[in-house]
Amino acid sequence: MNVRFIMHRTTSLLSLALAFSFALTSLAEEPVSFRKDLAPILLDQCLACHGPKKAEGGLRVDSFERVTKEGDSGSPGFVGNDLDLSEAFRRMASDDADERMPAEADAIPAEQLALFKRWIEEGAKFDGEDPTADLITIVPAPTHPEPPAAYRYAMPVAAVTFSPDGNEVIAGGYHELTVWNPVDGKLIRRIKNVGQRTRALSLSPDGKLLAVGCGAPGRLGETRVFDMANGEVVNVLGTTSDEVLDVAFSLQGDRLAVGAADGTIRVFEMPSGKEQLSITSHSDWVMALAWNADGTKLASGSRDKTAKIFDAKTGELLVTYSGHGNAVKGVAFHPENKDVFSAGTDNKIHRWQIADAKKTADVGFGGEVFKLPLSGEFLFASSADKTVRQFEAKTQKQLRAFAGHQDWALSVAYHAGTKRVASGGFDGSIHIWNAEDGKEVASFFAAPGYETVAK
Amino acid sequence: MKMAVQGIRTGAFVVVAFAAAIGLTRADDFKLEAIRVGEPQRIEVFPPAVKLAGVREQMQLVVTGYYADGSLQDLTRAAEFASSNAEIFTLAGSVVRPKADGSADLKVSVGGKEASIAVQVANQGTPQTVSFEYGTLAALSKQGCNAGACHGSPSGKGGFRLSLRAFDPELDKLTLIHEDFGRRTNALDPAESLLLLKPLMKVPHGGGLKVRASDPAYKVIHDWIAEGCKLDPPEQARVVKLEVYPPSGRLLKRPAHTQQLSILAHYTDGSVRDVTELAVYTSSDEAVASVTEAGLVVGKDRGEAAIIVRYKEFIESSFVTFVRDIEGFAWTNPPTNNYIDEAVDAKLQQLKFLPSNVCTDDEFIRRVYLDVIGILPTVDEVQKFSTDAASDKRSQLINQLLERPEFAKFWTLKWGDLLRLTSKQVGGDGVYKYHRWVERAIAANLPYDKFARELLTARGSSHLNPPANFYRTAADTNDCVETISQVFLGARLQCAKCHNHPFERWTQDNYYGMAAFFNRVQRKKTPKPDETFIWVSSKGEVTQPRTGKQMKPWLPGDGDVEQAEVDDRREIFADWLTRPDNPFFAKIEANRIWSHLLGRGIVDPPDDFRDSNPPSNAALLESLSADFVKSGFDRKHVIRTILNSRTYQSSFEPNDFNKDDTKYFSHYQPRLLSAEQLLDAICHVTSVPEKFGSLPLTTKATQLPAPDLVKHEFLKIFGQPERQTVCQCERSSESNLGMAIQFFNGPLIYNKLRDGNNRFRQLLNQKKADQEIISELHLAAVNRPPTEKELAATMKHISSKDVQIAAHNTETDVKIAAMNKAVADMRKTFEVKLFDAKLQTIPDAIRVDAKAALATEAGKRNEVQKYLVAKLGPSLTVTVEEVTNALDEAAKKMVADSTTQIAELQKLKQAPGSRRIEALEDVCWALLNTNEFLFQH
Repeated sequence: MNVRFIMHRTTSLLSLALAFSFALTSLAEEPVSFRKDLAPILLDQCLACHGPKKAEGGLRVDSFERVTKEGDSGSPGFVGNDLDLSEAFRRMASDDADERMPAEADAIPAEQLALFKRWIEEGAKFDGEDPTADLITIVPAPTHPEPPAAYRYAMPVAAVTFSPDGNEVIAGGYHELTVWNPVDGKLIRRIKNVGQRTRALSLSPDGKLLAVGCGAPGRLGETRVFDMANGEVVNVLGTTSDEVLDVAFSLQGDRLAVGAADGTIRVFEMPSGKEQLSITSHSDWVMALAWNADGTKLASGSRDKTAKIFDAKTGELLVTYSGHGNAVKGVAFHPENKDVFSAGTDNKIHRWQIADAKKTADVGFGGEVFKLPLSGEFLFASSADKTVRQFEAKTQKQLRAFAGHQDWALSVAYHAGTKRVASGGFDGSIHIWNAEDGKEVASFFAAPGYETVAK
Repeated sequence: MKMAVQGIRTGAFVVVAFAAAIGLTRADDFKLEAIRVGEPQRIEVFPPAVKLAGVREQMQLVVTGYYADGSLQDLTRAAEFASSNAEIFTLAGSVVRPKADGSADLKVSVGGKEASIAVQVANQGTPQTVSFEYGTLAALSKQGCNAGACHGSPSGKGGFRLSLRAFDPELDKLTLIHEDFGRRTNALDPAESLLLLKPLMKVPHGGGLKVRASDPAYKVIHDWIAEGCKLDPPEQARVVKLEVYPPSGRLLKRPAHTQQLSILAHYTDGSVRDVTELAVYTSSDEAVASVTEAGLVVGKDRGEAAIIVRYKEFIESSFVTFVRDIEGFAWTNPPTNNYIDEAVDAKLQQLKFLPSNVCTDDEFIRRVYLDVIGILPTVDEVQKFSTDAASDKRSQLINQLLERPEFAKFWTLKWGDLLRLTSKQVGGDGVYKYHRWVERAIAANLPYDKFARELLTARGSSHLNPPANFYRTAADTNDCVETISQVFLGARLQCAKCHNHPFERWTQDNYYGMAAFFNRVQRKKTPKPDETFIWVSSKGEVTQPRTGKQMKPWLPGDGDVEQAEVDDRREIFADWLTRPDNPFFAKIEANRIWSHLLGRGIVDPPDDFRDSNPPSNAALLESLSADFVKSGFDRKHVIRTILNSRTYQSSFEPNDFNKDDTKYFSHYQPRLLSAEQLLDAICHVTSVPEKFGSLPLTTKATQLPAPDLVKHEFLKIFGQPERQTVCQCERSSESNLGMAIQFFNGPLIYNKLRDGNNRFRQLLNQKKADQEIISELHLAAVNRPPTEKELAATMKHISSKDVQIAAHNTETDVKIAAMNKAVADMRKTFEVKLFDAKLQTIPDAIRVDAKAALATEAGKRNEVQKYLVAKLGPSLTVTVEEVTNALDEAAKKMVADSTTQIAELQKLKQAPGSRRIEALEDVCWALLNTNEFLFQH
C-alpha cells in the first residue's frame, strides 16, 4: 500500500484514496461499493460542474439521492440494471468527444468506468446510511500520502502546541505533524497520515488525545484524533468539503468543538466521537472556537465578521458581537466568564460583555490578530505585526511582547509548567520564548530537511 | 412616411465588455479565410533581429507581404520558418523559443520570397524566475481573474479579492501569498494550489472554467508557485514602454482579414521581451474585429477597430481598417462643399459606402432651424425660403440664423447641461446670473479659450462674477477634477479616484496630480442669500490616498509641474489647457459641436475620449479641430463650416450602399427632438404657448435657465436632464412608454388641441377653407405643404365626420332612452305600492271588484264597474307627486344621477356644424404623431 502512495504522491488525495480502494475491491471481486469506489470518482471528476455552485445540465452529484435523480435530459444519472438509461454512465462512456463527460477533459480511465458498469449491473445499490448525505461525508476517510522526506519550502505554521509535559512542541506540517525539542530545535518524531494542511491543534486535558483540524483547501476538511502515546489515528470526525479551521477540547475533556470553512460548528462527544451538535449560525468560515471554564458556553469567531456565544448544551445562539466589522480569527473567554475576547482582521483584540455584547475595552496591534489562546491567568495573541504578546487576562494589560519573527506570527501556545511560549510563523519558523524574561530560547524551521535543501 | 425610427440612439454609459465565459477567444472560434499569398514584391519580418536572454523568453514573429499595387497583408499564418541550428533555438509555429546559448539564423519563406534574421540566445544555463508583477499578476489579468465583475470587484468574490487589473501589487501580494494561512498556493505541490485548481474547475469555482493547463498563463502561475511565491527584488528592471507591432494604420482587404500582433515590453535596463502571450486584447468594435488570446486580430466586417493592448498598467492601441469589395459599388465623385466633405468622402470611399443625396430645401430649413436655434421655422419663413431662387440661399439662411438671439439662448441650454445650471446648486438668483453670463458669452461669440479660462480661473463673488459659480457646482477638489476632465478633456476620470482606470491610461496618480491644481480653491458663503465667495489659498497639498505620497500638480502629456509655487495654480492649468497644441481642448469642443449637429460624435459618446473608443474618422476630427484652433477658437465658425458641408446637408434616406452605416456620416441620422425642442414645436404648431411659472410667456422651453425653476412633467418624460452630472449621457434620448402616452392622449397635447384660440380655430374664424388650413398645419408642423395624397386623405376624413356624427347621436339617444326607462320602471314599483296601500282602505267586500274595474279599459267597463270607478277612482288614484314623495334615498339618488347623465349625454350630441373643428383637431393630432414631426431628420 505505501509503495503505491509514494508512486502517486503528486496526484490528488481523492484519487489516491480511490486507487487504494480500487486495489482492494478488484482483488476480492466484492460487490462494487458506491461509498468507497464510486463516490471518490464523482467527487474528483464531476463535482466541480455538477455541484451546489454549478449544476450543469440540472444534475448534481453531491449526494447519492441527487446522482440517481433525473437531470435536464429526463434520464437519471444512474439506474440499476440499465446501462442505457443511466445517463451519467452513457455520457462517461460515450465515444463522441462533444458528448463525453467530463467535458473538455480526459476520459475517465477504463478501469474506473468498468467499476461503474459493474455497479449498475449489480443493481446500483447504495451502501451508506443516508442517501441524502453529502458524498464527502460518506467517503471512507483516506489514508493520507507520505509527507516530503525533505521540505523544499517551509510551510506556514498555522498551529502549534506543547506536549503535556512541555518537552515537545508539536507543529502542523505538510501531510504530517512534526514534533520538536523546544530547547534545541531538534526533530523528535513525525506523525503521519494527516491532511494536507493543519490549521488547529487541541490536546485533551488528560493529555492522551490530540485533535488535529486539517484538510486540503477547497477539497476536504476533517478532524483527526491521534493517540498521543503511539501517534495512530483513533478517529476521523466531521469530514467536510473545505478546511477545518479550529478545534477545541472542552476543559472537562468530554467534548470537542470543530469549526470549518463550511460555516458549521460541530460538537462531538469524546472519546466516542458521536456528533452532538451541528450549529449553522455563521454565514462564512468558522475560524475560532473557545469553551468557557465549566463547559456551558461556546464562543466562536467567523469570517462573517461576527463573534458569537452559544449554549453549549443546546446549541442555542445567546449573543452576536459585530463590533469588529471584519473577519474574527481568535476568541477566548475572560477568566471570570462574564466577558469574551475576540480578535481579527481589524487589528484589535476586543473585550466585550456576554450579557449585552457591549465592548468594554480593546487592544491594538500593528496587523491582524490570529490565535488567542487563554492559559490560566494569561492571554496570548499572535499577529501579522510579527509579534506574539502576553497579557494579564483579567485586565488585558500587556505583560510582554515577543519580537523576533521575520514574518507574520500565525500561532502561539503556552506551557504553564515550563513557562515557555511557542509561536509559529508564516515563514515556517517556530520560536520558543521564556515567558519569565521574554528571551528567545530557540528558533528553527518546522520543516524536516528544509535547511539542508535551502543551502 | 418612411422614417427610420431605429435612429433613436441610446447615450448611456459605455460598458466595455471584456470577453466573458472562459473569457478568451481562440483562432478556432472564427472562420478564418485562407491566406491568398499571391506574389509579394518583398516580405518583411518583425522584429528585424531576435535576442532571447533567458530560459523563459520567446519571440512572436510577424511576417508582412508587400505587393505591387501598394497593398500589404499579414503572411505570418502562411509563412514557413526554419532554424539554421535547432540546437540554438526552435520554432513553435511563428514563435521562436530558445534552447542553448549561441547565435543562429532564422529563415522565413513565403510566396517565393525569403528573408533571414539573426537570433541570439543567452543565459540558458541560469534559471530565470517568474516575476510576480510582470508574470503572475499579468497572467491573472490575462485570464480575467482580477476583472471588475470577478475578484477585482471592491469586495472580491467568494472571499478572494484581487486589485482591479492588478493596479495594487501590495494588496495582491497579501491576498495571493499571505492571506488565510497561504491556503491559495502550494509550493510543495504547485499543481495542487487552489489558485490553479479553481479556475481549472478541478475544484468547484463560481466563475467556472477560466484557465486550461495548456494556457501560457497557467504555466506562469504554476512556476511562480513552484519557485516559492517569490516577490520581485527591488532592483528588478521595470517596464517603461509597451510596443505594439504593427502600429496603427494597417489596412486589410478581404480575403486578407487577419493580423498577428507582436507585443514587446521595454525595460528600464534596455532589455526587450515579448509579452504577446500575456497581454490582454480588446477590440473597440467587436462587430468589426475580434482578437484571439494569442494576439491574432480577426476582421469580421468592413470598418475600423482600435485593438487595445493592455499589459500591467500599460495600454497601447493599434488601429486596423478592414475593407472589402462591394458588388456593384462605384464611387460617384459626389461634389464637396468644404474640407469636411473631403475627409468624410475619403473614409466613405475607403470603406465603400456611398453618401446619400443632398436633402430637399424643406428638410434643410427644418433641420437647420432646429439645430441652430432649437425651434421650427414659421409658415412665412418656410414659404419665403422655398420660393427663394438664390443659389446660395442655404448659406444665407445659416448666416441669418447664427445671428438670431435664439441661437445664443438655445446653445446656452447645451452648456447649461454641462455646467449643471440649477437653482438648487447655484441659488435662485445665481442661476439667472450664471445663465445670462453664458448666453452673453455665446451671443458675443467669446472665443472658446477665453470662455474656458474665465470659468476655470474664476474667483470672487458669485453674484458679481457669475463664472465663479463653476466652483459652486464643482463643490470640492474631486468634483473639480472629474468635472474639468470630463468637460474639457473628454475623459471620465471617476474610476481613477480609487484605482487606476481599468481600461485606460489614466492612473490614480494622475487623478491626484490634477487635483493639486484645484485643492486650494476655497468657497465661503457670504451673508447675502445665495452668494458664495471663491478665493484661492496660498497653501495646501494633495496626498495620494493609496501611496500616501504628496502629489505635484500634473498635466497630461507634460507630466509633473515643478514650478508650481504661484498665486493661483489654476492659471498654469488654464495656460496648458488653452494652448493651441493642447491635444484635448479643441478636439473635445469641435467634436461636441459636431455631435450636436449630426446627432453622433466623431468620437461618441462625445465626452468619452479614450483609446478604446476611437474616432470614427480621425482625419475629420483632426481637420475640424485644427480649423477651430486656427479660427481663434471661434465656435460660430465651426458651426457655420459644418452646416455648410454637404455631409450635414445630406438626406436621411439611405441608399443601397450606405444603409448599414451608422458612424461614418454617409447619410443624416434621424433622431428624436429633444424634450425642449419638442415642447416648443408643439406650441408652435398649435400656436398655444406654454407658460413656465413666473417667467414671461415668450420664454421657450429651449430657453429655460434651469430645469428646476419650473418642473414640467412633459419635459421630464422626454428626457430633460436634472443636471446632476456633467455627463452628456444624463440627457436621455431613449424612447419610453410615457412618451407614447403623452402623444396619444396626454393632457398637454389635448389642451392645446382644444384651446379656443389655437392655430386652426383662428384660421376657421378667418373663414379659411379646409384646404388652406390643412396646408398651413403641414407647413407649421413638418415645414412643407401636404402631398396630394395627404390632402385627399385629410379631406376625406373631414367629410366622413358627418356620417360619424349621425351615428354618434343615434347611439346617444338609445342610451338616454334606456336610462329614462329604468327610471320609469323604478317609479312604477313605488306606484304599485302606494296603490295597494290605498286599496286597503276600502271595504274587503268590494276591494277585488274595484281593482278589476280600474284595471278594465274605460270603454269595456260594465255598469257596476263604471259605478265603482266613479265612486272609488279618485281616492285610489296615485299622483306623480305622491310617487315622487314616496321615493326612498336610493331611488332619489338614482333619479338624480340619471338626470345628470342624461343631460351630459345630450351635450355630447353634436350639431352638424361642429364637424370641422373636430376633424381639424384630428388632423393636427395626427400630424403631431408622425415620425416626420417627432424626429429631427
